[in-house]
Amino acid sequence: MQNPIDIEQQLLAELAGGGRKATEQVYKQYYKMVTVWIQQNGGSEEDAADIYQEAVTVLFEKAQSEDFRLTCKIGTYLFAVGKHLWYKKVQQIQKGPGRLGDDEGADWAYEDDIKSHQERESHYAQLDSSLDQLGEPCRSLLKAFYQQDKSMIEIAAEFGYTNPDNAKTQKYKCLMRLRKIFYGVQANENI
Amino acid sequence: MAIENNIWKLAESLVSGEIPETDRAELELKMQNDPAFAAELLECTNMLRSLEGSGRQKRFSAMLSDIHHEQSKAASKKESRSIPMRSHYLRIASVAAGIALVASVATFWTVKNTTTKNATQYSVLRKEVENIKRSQHEQKALINDIKINANSTNTAPEADAKFSGTGFAITNDGYFVTNYHVTEGADSIYILDNAGKYYKAYLVNYNAQTDIALLKVEKKSFRFGKGEIPYSLATKKAALGATVFTLGYPEDDITYNEGYISARNGYNGDSMQYRLELPAKSGQSGAPVIDNKGNLIAIVSGKESQSKGTTYAVSSGALIELLQDVPKEVRLHLPKSNSLAKLNREEQIEKMQAYTFSVKVYKK
Repeated sequence: MQNPIDIEQQLLAELAGGGRKATEQVYKQYYKMVTVWIQQNGGSEEDAADIYQEAVTVLFEKAQSEDFRLTCKIGTYLFAVGKHLWYKKVQQIQKGPGRLGDDEGADWAYEDDIKSHQERESHYAQLDSSLDQLGEPCRSLLKAFYQQDKSMIEIAAEFGYTNPDNAKTQKYKCLMRLRKIFYGVQANENI
Repeated sequence: MAIENNIWKLAESLVSGEIPETDRAELELKMQNDPAFAAELLECTNMLRSLEGSGRQKRFSAMLSDIHHEQSKAASKKESRSIPMRSHYLRIASVAAGIALVASVATFWTVKNTTTKNATQYSVLRKEVENIKRSQHEQKALINDIKINANSTNTAPEADAKFSGTGFAITNDGYFVTNYHVTEGADSIYILDNAGKYYKAYLVNYNAQTDIALLKVEKKSFRFGKGEIPYSLATKKAALGATVFTLGYPEDDITYNEGYISARNGYNGDSMQYRLELPAKSGQSGAPVIDNKGNLIAIVSGKESQSKGTTYAVSSGALIELLQDVPKEVRLHLPKSNSLAKLNREEQIEKMQAYTFSVKVYKK
């Protein structure tokens, strides 16, 4: 008999690797539990689905790190994170006086995970906007490689390079330009 | 241009971890001697990691949306997707109503708890794991026990009320102690040790009056640590002003706090308790209170609601009474010696870690 914690750990490892089956299993198993709670606490069906997807993404990110270990059940984690994300959203909707102070979130469960999730989101948003400033073909080429996970062979064929090595040389040029824009953006934001 | 390409190639091999050991050593030397190069390479690897991470996350989100679509297609009931303005306001109103409900439930809980302790200022430190803390009712710091699930009875079992406290070993072969209020009404009790492993436990004996419970880990071969329990039970009451410390689990990580005995009797002059000046949070109920010489003198059990640092702890005398009161078939080999006395604080904590753990309580 496998220990239930080991089973969950295995499931998480597959989810971290982007496995569809494991992700689907986790997603469906706790969907009701989290979304029903959000709807009972004032969210619409769409809000609930959005928040739940974000919570699963937080779990995905957390599971990426090598030293990650589960300290509670997956369901408990998703429920806590989903709840927390929803309260943050409610906080944004009604920034009235007397409601949930800004520092109140500090001792909530998994605050660190959510903080690093939000930092990562804004970092990725900066990266995306840098990519958009890049111009073609660099923008599409880098997106094909990093976001659509295409191989250099596919990319060479799609973008009309004579061989994958040429495509690779082009990719390095694009990375160089992206770096200038990306760190330029960051430098400006720091001022 | 060749150099530019090279730095990206290098960065790629670093990020993917495919760089050979020998090259890595050479590279480290070069980075030490050429800080400008090192900074440049760092920028490149950071950007590549971000690109990869962002791409991975985008693919994952796309997959989630896909899963969601399939799921809602499967369970499709025709519904109108447009939300009229009025219902938007209703939604916000219902959020506010929800918060008000939570607050009133909290107040109810306050009243309920305090009637049992017969006063308004005593709060147990059991922690509801999914609790929500709120500032608008600061005087009622009892908010620890907010029952957020009180209004949602139809959620899945995973959402059941769940409490956590702290427990400490009393024998190495599985007997341990926590507060009775932590275990009260439990369906099942688990300990979560420092290695992140859960072990099921059952109640052996308790005293609701003094608020202590004796439990045992089910698994027969279970041992808390390598040797005997490092602390011993104090048989006499400790002196006023004695310095004490405690290890507990307000979160999943073990937490150290220190303080002193501020009164030899506890809440409302309860002689089975001490009053301590020692910060404690919910989840630390059941945490051992140890003096400088490694004697276990008390068990954290509650705090004064209106002050930050006043904590109440049940004396070891009450614990000894409970242990003497166990059925004959229970054989407790209590720690006789104490291996903490000559150690400094860090070493004491190090030694105690294996014998102090989180207690998780599940209820229907």
